[in-house]
Amino acid sequence: MIDVVQLAQNLINGVGLGLIYGLIGIGFCVIYNASGIVNFGQGVFVMLGGMICATFLAHAGLPIWLAALVTVPVVALIGVAMEVAIVRPMWKRGASIFAIILATLACQMLIEQVTLLGLGDQPRTFDSFTPGGPLMVGGVALPYQFFWVLGCGALMVAGLWAFFTRTRSGRALRACSQNAEAAALLGVPVRRMMMLSFALSAGLGAVAGILITPSQITAYNIGTPFGVNGFIAAIIGGFGSAAGAVTGGILLGVFQALAIALLGASFKNVAALSVLLVVLLVFPQGILAQIKTLRSSRR
Amino acid sequence: MTTPLLEIRDLSARYGHVEALKPTSLTVAEGELVTILGPNGAGKSTLLRAVTRLTPGPGAILFKGRDVSALPTHKLSELGIILVQEGRGLFGDMSVRENLVLGAYNAGGDTAEIAARMEKVFSLFPRLKERLDQKAALMSGGEQQMLAIGRAMMAGPKLLMLDEPSLGLAPRVAGEILETLGELNRQGLGILLVEQKAPLALRLARRVYVLSLGRIVAELPSHEIKSHHDLARYYLH
Ligand SMILES: Nc1ncnc2c1ncn2[C@@H]1O[C@H](COP(=O)(O)OP(=O)(O)O)[C@@H](O)[C@H]1O
Ligand SMILES: [Mg+2]
Repeated sequence: MIDVVQLAQNLINGVGLGLIYGLIGIGFCVIYNASGIVNFGQGVFVMLGGMICATFLAHAGLPIWLAALVTVPVVALIGVAMEVAIVRPMWKRGASIFAIILATLACQMLIEQVTLLGLGDQPRTFDSFTPGGPLMVGGVALPYQFFWVLGCGALMVAGLWAFFTRTRSGRALRACSQNAEAAALLGVPVRRMMMLSFALSAGLGAVAGILITPSQITAYNIGTPFGVNGFIAAIIGGFGSAAGAVTGGILLGVFQALAIALLGASFKNVAALSVLLVVLLVFPQGILAQIKTLRSSRR
Repeated sequence: MTTPLLEIRDLSARYGHVEALKPTSLTVAEGELVTILGPNGAGKSTLLRAVTRLTPGPGAILFKGRDVSALPTHKLSELGIILVQEGRGLFGDMSVRENLVLGAYNAGGDTAEIAARMEKVFSLFPRLKERLDQKAALMSGGEQQMLAIGRAMMAGPKLLMLDEPSLGLAPRVAGEILETLGELNRQGLGILLVEQKAPLALRLARRVYVLSLGRIVAELPSHEIKSHHDLARYYLH
């Protein structure tokens, strides 16, 4: 017999974790749309967010909000450095997209090794943003951090939406993704927009890393699992919109949680890959794209 | 002689081993409308890509007497060298409004300036005003070309270059659009118009370059070309 409370508990955890996957997925989409590059180094930003924030907390004694406020721009700068030092030179020499994608993966390994040397291999964590909790609802525990994840996640998605539709730079970034030549002809500095997309993605990854660390742990090598799940979230969502990636992430998180509850923890990755395969078989363009098509064909 | 608005000297461009544009020279005077005619594959688009540095190649590009050949595409745009690409280059998933606003990228965030430029565009193409929230990709070909030109006008061009704006349009619509270009030119705007089909473009321009196989094979006053037959002579080089 399945324990309903336990199931609900797993679902709640799945939603929280799924939102994190969604944020990472948005990071993939932002860079991909601006440049056509799938940044396989995306997970490393999540790791850096958690690790750097943990370091600021432990060694500089900063309050969490200040540590987070310092960490995000630092990681964004690392993202920019990745674009300037690796992607741009390869692009200029006419490297294929495939080679650049491999280079981003190599970059992730490099950053992991540097982190290992600099900060060691012991996992770290830090306290939930607000002490106390959890909130008990009918036997299900809602940790305060869960609300932070929900709130910050919603805020990020709304902020991104406003950025992409209401600001000059956001519009220009979208223009680059649709037609980079036309954007350049209108005065948009396309190369700088690419830098901006890396900064944005890295910052998003860092936020995800900071949000998730109190409920999990962080260590030099957590980039890959988070990166993979974020990537799956982005694909499920159709690799386009922020809303798609978040939907994909939550779907993935919930599905994994169900698999853990019903089949056991070892089925977590099987669940992730199954949901990916099923979605791709049924909706090759991603779920949100599919929903849009259905809606417009009904008109 | 006064300094031309645009002067290119021995400008060439290649795709890999193919020199699609052989060293080419031409000028556009201030306030002049110049037409480049040539058959498909002559190198007309390549010439415009070379001038805007989308496909950079050796040679000099002088804009109001200043050599700008080392500048990247977006800097040339800031100077007022604006190209309406072949196929229009619209941001198809965006609304008409967003396309127009992006046209005014060089106006910074100055909303009053953007609104003023938009009003000017509406006076040229009133139809765009009715379609503001329409997705660009969902408009008719004629409307899309109006939007492409309107968006270019949002950038405040000093030199407007257009690559086959009448391509794929019904003759009446193409005529309307070329009339508008004539009107802009009468207001003092320098225009470099590339077309494959002659009659309409010839009526607007006083001077015509004929491009064939990557080089300019003739420069002549437009009244000397009366029929397509006259042009064919140049094409068969
Ligand atoms: N991206 C490209 N790669 C290789 N060859 C090209 C490319 N674009 C155009 N060409 C070639 O360059 C020549 C000139 O093309 P283009 O400038 O587009 O001619 P036009 O605009 O006059 O029709 C043609 O032979 C065409 O096949
Ligand atoms: Mg052409």
